[in-house]
Amino acid sequence: MKFSKTNTEIKTHYLYPAALFADTEPHIVDTILGSCVAVCLYDPIKKIGGINHYMLPFWNGNGLASPKYGNIAIQKLIEKLHSFGCKTENIQAKVFGGGEVIVTEINLFKIGQRNIEIALKTLSELNIRITGKSVGGNHGRKIRFNTESGVVMMKLIQKST
Amino acid sequence: MLSDKELIEQLHAKLNELKSSQKLIERQQDELKLVNEKLAESEALKSHFISNITNEIINPFASILGLSKNIIAAKDSDIIKIKSMAELIHSEAFELDFQLKNIFTAAKIEAGEACPDYVKTDINLLLASIISAYKYKAEQKQLKINFSFELDKKLTETIYFSTDPEKLKLILSNLLSNSIKYSNAANKIEVKGWIDNNKLNVAVKDRGIGIDKKNLEIIFDRFKRLDSSINSINPGHGLGLSVTKALLDLLEGKIDIVSKRNLGSVFTISIPQVEGANTEDYAMDGNEFIFGDSDNEIF
Repeated sequence: MKFSKTNTEIKTHYLYPAALFADTEPHIVDTILGSCVAVCLYDPIKKIGGINHYMLPFWNGNGLASPKYGNIAIQKLIEKLHSFGCKTENIQAKVFGGGEVIVTEINLFKIGQRNIEIALKTLSELNIRITGKSVGGNHGRKIRFNTESGVVMMKLIQKST
Repeated sequence: MLSDKELIEQLHAKLNELKSSQKLIERQQDELKLVNEKLAESEALKSHFISNITNEIINPFASILGLSKNIIAAKDSDIIKIKSMAELIHSEAFELDFQLKNIFTAAKIEAGEACPDYVKTDINLLLASIISAYKYKAEQKQLKINFSFELDKKLTETIYFSTDPEKLKLILSNLLSNSIKYSNAANKIEVKGWIDNNKLNVAVKDRGIGIDKKNLEIIFDRFKRLDSSINSINPGHGLGLSVTKALLDLLEGKIDIVSKRNLGSVFTISIPQVEGANTEDYAMDGNEFIFGDSDNEIF
């Protein structure tokens, strides 16, 4: 069953891993998460939202300082919203992802867990209220974020095996 | 009421808990210190980069301006002189264009704005065009570029591969540019392309100065150059390989390096073909999005 309630007026954007998206125009943003985490930020006063999709918790100087890393991705998304005139005290956050999709016996890396931790920690340090979250577990997630209303639709991805 | 013994036991347990969490904090602090050091180093490299890059943009422009002025002032009979000046302008502008592409791509990746743009690409043509673009640069060092594309099919057939041609171009340009830069003069560079398991592989092999094993890990770090001394004969800003790596990540590709000091290096990239990509818009991932049934949660 196909579904396209996304009426023609609202633009859509597919968010790739390691990218981030925020725009003053309303958008529907789709992304798929495994152990990655997406932080959706929304300013209900200006009705502007932004979302990132990071793969690893920390940038430690390897490669480019891209939003592939949580610490960079959250910071940059907030900066972007600031550039649109959003104020930190108005911003609300929703956090998704961080599932341990690839379950190994000794889960040394716990990437999902660490990705979640950095989001929760950074947001609480900045006093940004978390108004919704679905994190952890061992499912992947599909999410669809409406940047105008701040509403996120989420669906767990069932394992095929 | 707790007995004294129970109390002491509980106290012990709490103390132990405290100790272990203290250890955890210490360990995390150490980690943080390390990260901080690396970040500080990266910042230092960044400012070094900015002063470097100013040179590398201004100098080529100065020579382009000077040379073109000379051409304008030259007499018609000086055609040989004019030609050689035009060649110099071309090579300066070519390098400048390449450097700027790397810088802007890096900026785009760091801003989180890079996304792949998949189209069906004539891969043979793409490879050949990059090599011919670098032919002139290679000739300056009397290098020969051997190019071969191996496939089951006949070479005359056009080989289409779905990927992002612009990004692939920059990846390959970086590899080729490096191999020319670090080759010993009057040598050979081999470029080999092949497709297996629906993956495009390209190997660039040079006989140059090579890379030490201990340095293999840091060559992808931004702004890092193994030889960053002032009188280094090789221009560059240390962005090329970090851009290459980030672009390959974006295309879900891989890079392999085999290198021996003073013998040369082989850089091999491998990029998977994107299923269902075509000239229509990005829909390949977007189409999978179905939120019609009732089991979606709303936040």
